[in-house]
Amino acid sequence: MLSVKGLRVHYGKVEALKEVSLEVGKGEIVALVGANGAGKTTSLRAISGLKTPTEGEIWFEGRRIDRLPPHAIVRVGIGHVPEGRRLFPHMTVLENLKAGAYLRANGDSVRKDLERAFEQFPVLKARNRQKAGTLSGGEQQMLTIARALMGRPRLLLLDEPSLGLAPLVVASIASIIKEINGEGVSIVLVEQNARMALRLASRAYVLETGRVALEGPSGALLADEHVKKVYLGG
Amino acid sequence: MESQLLIQALVNGIMLGMVYVLVALGLTLVFSIMEVINFAHGEFYMLGGYTAYYLIAQLGLNYFLTIAAAVVVVGFLGWMIEKLLFRPFRKDLLGAFIVSLGLVWVLQSAAMLAFGSLEKSVPSPFRGVLKVLGIYFSLERLIVTVTAIVLVAALYLFIQFSREGRAMRAVAQDSDAAALQGINVARISSLAFAVGAGLAATAGVLIAPLFFVSPFIGDLPIVKAFIIIILGGMGSIPGALLGGLILGLAEGVGSIFLSIPAVNLLGFVIVMAVLLVRPRGLLGHA
Ligand SMILES: Nc1ncnc2c1ncn2[C@@H]1O[C@H](COP(=O)(O)OP(=O)(O)O)[C@@H](O)[C@H]1O
Ligand SMILES: [Mg+2]
Repeated sequence: MLSVKGLRVHYGKVEALKEVSLEVGKGEIVALVGANGAGKTTSLRAISGLKTPTEGEIWFEGRRIDRLPPHAIVRVGIGHVPEGRRLFPHMTVLENLKAGAYLRANGDSVRKDLERAFEQFPVLKARNRQKAGTLSGGEQQMLTIARALMGRPRLLLLDEPSLGLAPLVVASIASIIKEINGEGVSIVLVEQNARMALRLASRAYVLETGRVALEGPSGALLADEHVKKVYLGG
Repeated sequence: MESQLLIQALVNGIMLGMVYVLVALGLTLVFSIMEVINFAHGEFYMLGGYTAYYLIAQLGLNYFLTIAAAVVVVGFLGWMIEKLLFRPFRKDLLGAFIVSLGLVWVLQSAAMLAFGSLEKSVPSPFRGVLKVLGIYFSLERLIVTVTAIVLVAALYLFIQFSREGRAMRAVAQDSDAAALQGINVARISSLAFAVGAGLAATAGVLIAPLFFVSPFIGDLPIVKAFIIIILGGMGSIPGALLGGLILGLAEGVGSIFLSIPAVNLLGFVIVMAVLLVRPRGLLGHA
């Protein structure tokens, strides 16, 4: 479904990605783990078109997308929940959700999806007229995910959805990710919380300084000595 | 008699303020979306003035149709200017500043060549006065004020409730996140330029019968608009409205007691006073 080949990305002279290749199959959850600064966020930004790669190719469902602008990449079916949530803070919860459905013309199906979002995230329903900036961290994360789902993506990129959240909230985010995947949405999950990511994903890539250092089924990586020592705290 | 003078000064102040607001709205809208200041924005006002001269004074066209024509023509020009000149300078305040200074020069020179440097006058389409509670109001000034209020309200409704208006707010708050919702940020920037240019042109049409039209009439309103958006808070639309009313009223009342140069200084004094207490402007976000 998604195929990233030999991706190289620069910020000015800094080479953030040296050589990243990865595959995501239909219906899969694939984890991308690695230390701070390894290039996880940059990989996602390149896939969704926010950052133009210097070299390499990105293919989605048989179409080359690495020269498309971000709004066109949303249109082909890729949603991106960015690092740090990035809501529209002065807009209401409802307006944020509507922004997620910006490209969809059919009002009826958007209304249905709004109802579904409120069922899936009851906290958002209770606060739908509140400004997004006034929500708690966990609620903001839910809203960012719900907003991305309003675009009906077939592939969802999630960048550190558990960052800074209490363990209970992390657990509910994890079950939401499973739920979304259960509905047929493929997922790339970026996490510093490697344990959570490897538990959710079927396969994973370990990034180290802009390269894929390791890849394989999550079970194998969870048992790997290097991964255990560096990413799972011994 | 004293109170008649004061009330007329207030009414005049509100009219002037609302016309400034029309110019300021485009400046603040473009700033919120692209983080640039277009100092050639006053030239859209000037072109609105010439639209009034050619369509009302020369062709005898209806006042409100002239406004519509100015919005379309100058709005389209604004759209193209964003696309061709400002797009590469998104979030580059200095680069855009230099481009816009060049554009001021180009548009003023072009206006001089095309329309001549002599001042042109536009006949007033609405003569007569209105007597309310024993006080006389000029019909023309009332119509200018009401038209401006209607346009400001229309812009507010557009930004608040339409799909593209919501997209504009989204881009203003976080342009990357907006792009991730499928919003074409470049197109929204063009739209902001077009809407802003159209509003400034409307201000030019509204004011043309009260003053005169020349290639340099954009210089004053751009300074006023700049004062207003700093006063109200850069990028804030309610701030522009509030700032415009404050400046208009201060100038209206000030003109009873002060000379014209002193009135023109008034805005700067108010801005400095406000910024000392509130550096982000009256309604600006931190
Ligand atoms: N906007 C930027 N400008 C310059 N360098 C950046 C920028 N964003 C990230 N980098 C650099 O690129 C590398 C990868 O960063 P990032 O993709 O954010 O890593 P991760 O998400 O894995 O923490 C880091 O060395 C970081 O310093
Ligand atoms: Mg990151």
